[in-house]
Amino acid sequence: MERKTVIKAERLVKRYGDFTAVDGVDFEIYQGECFGFLGPNGAGKTSTMKALSCVSPISGGAISVAGMDVRRRAREIKAILGVVSQADSLDPDLDVFQNLLAFARYFDLPKETARRRAREGLELFQLIDKIGNRVDELSGGMRRRLLIARALINHPEILVLDEPTTGLDPQARLLVWDKLSLLKSQGITMLLTTHYMDEAAYLCDRLVVMDMGAILAQGAPADLVRDTVGSHVVEIRTRHADKPALIARLESAGGAGVRVEDRADTVLLYAENGAASPENVAEEIGLEGFEVTRRPANLEDVFLRLTGRGLREE
Amino acid sequence: MATATATISAAVRRTPFWGGAKSWQRNRDAAMRAWKVEIGGLFVEPFVLLVAMGFGLGAYIDGIGDRSYAQFVAPGIIASYAMFHATFDATYGAYLRMESHHIFEAMLFTPMEPSDIVMGEVMWGATRATLSAAAVLIAAAIFGLVDSPLALLTIPVAYLIGLVFASIAMTLTATATTIGAMNNFFTLFLLPMFYVSGTFFPLDRLPDMVQRAAWILPLTPAASLTRGLAFGELSPWMLVWTAELIAYGAVALYIASRLMRRRLVK
Repeated sequence: MERKTVIKAERLVKRYGDFTAVDGVDFEIYQGECFGFLGPNGAGKTSTMKALSCVSPISGGAISVAGMDVRRRAREIKAILGVVSQADSLDPDLDVFQNLLAFARYFDLPKETARRRAREGLELFQLIDKIGNRVDELSGGMRRRLLIARALINHPEILVLDEPTTGLDPQARLLVWDKLSLLKSQGITMLLTTHYMDEAAYLCDRLVVMDMGAILAQGAPADLVRDTVGSHVVEIRTRHADKPALIARLESAGGAGVRVEDRADTVLLYAENGAASPENVAEEIGLEGFEVTRRPANLEDVFLRLTGRGLREE
Repeated sequence: MATATATISAAVRRTPFWGGAKSWQRNRDAAMRAWKVEIGGLFVEPFVLLVAMGFGLGAYIDGIGDRSYAQFVAPGIIASYAMFHATFDATYGAYLRMESHHIFEAMLFTPMEPSDIVMGEVMWGATRATLSAAAVLIAAAIFGLVDSPLALLTIPVAYLIGLVFASIAMTLTATATTIGAMNNFFTLFLLPMFYVSGTFFPLDRLPDMVQRAAWILPLTPAASLTRGLAFGELSPWMLVWTAELIAYGAVALYIASRLMRRRLVK
């Protein structure tokens, strides 16, 4: 089946003064998929979102949304997007219902349509009981759901979510995921940035891993995992004092394509390509006295492998 | 015919007035929810000032020309309160909406553009100016200080005054880095202007140079217009004053839109 491209970025560059936030990235997003931007703080995820949402002029390259150039047709593009930005921008001077109606007005929706869609949105996001409440009476999870409901008021073709569950507790997060996967099943194209691996694995059909303004890898989550770190990882728990010696032993024994990685109180062994076997290396050197676990590799392994372990400043 | 109508409607939708009306409605809805708070500032305060200045201070003054001091000062209060109400909302109010509540940011994720946002804020400032002028006018009429039906025209004039000062205020809001940055505008510009623009006493008492300088300040033509109308004394100068206000408003609005784009779209 031929997939229809809805967003296409070519050599996209975004600079703020001397700082280059996005440094020549290419990606293509297809209709109806959920596409993720995964990366640490400062990777350039939000800058990319803002550029394609037409709220931040691009410094180089090109992006088109539904075939329209972001530099020339901002208003038309914005009319078919629904954006949930990181900042909580609910209007504290208006009640829950009015927040949605005010937004509907910005999209030129007729009054009756606006009222109907606002109610539908509140139903869907389980906020209908709060219809007349002030927004500062809502919990964090409710506010986030209201922000998503607000972004859907124009029935957008593309929903853009910048860290949709950051700061939510696990229950609130699950509820948001549940709603997002429901929307996805209804066929809306979705873009999301996140630094939660489980979120990306759960929601995204395809994703890119970004760091320092560049795309390090892209693909479906399962393919990315398999191609970058293999299907399984061997985890060896160790005390800090014993770690250097253990790593030295593992590295000297290291078979072709097996990579040793130092992570907090564990040492990881994983395959650099599909053929290598980390299990063999572990067996070879004999690891009596250590707690050894074999587990399926996940996106977090990919992420840390690609972006390194160094802590970032905001 | 149908396509012509569609073209016109599409063209209208691209003007800042169309987008501005929507941002204006947002501010109206917010004010209506807080009407108990709003009503005090809009109606009670100018009423108190009129009583204090007109009758309190006015008791020590013989009157100006053939009118009582209260009659003289009432149209000055109409003009200056139109100025204050528009300015307060377009500075502190708009800054709070922009920086603390991220309301402008949210609007930008819709087809709204910075020029629409500025237009809406300015139209809202003008609306507040008009409401406050109506309140002062009613109070003045109750005290018998109005002697011409032309005084009713001070209400649309207050809208114009509001447009001018809200536009000037928006240039400041678009460039302020903290809310405190607004304070100097009030203490160094607005309040001095309030005292020397012919609101409390006729300009001809002032030294020549100060008089000439006062005419450059936008409150001077504003107060002259409201006074002329309240007294029922029409003059061709009114056209000049109106033109002066429109010019100030148009230039400030243009600059404010440019500055706001620079601030919001990075």
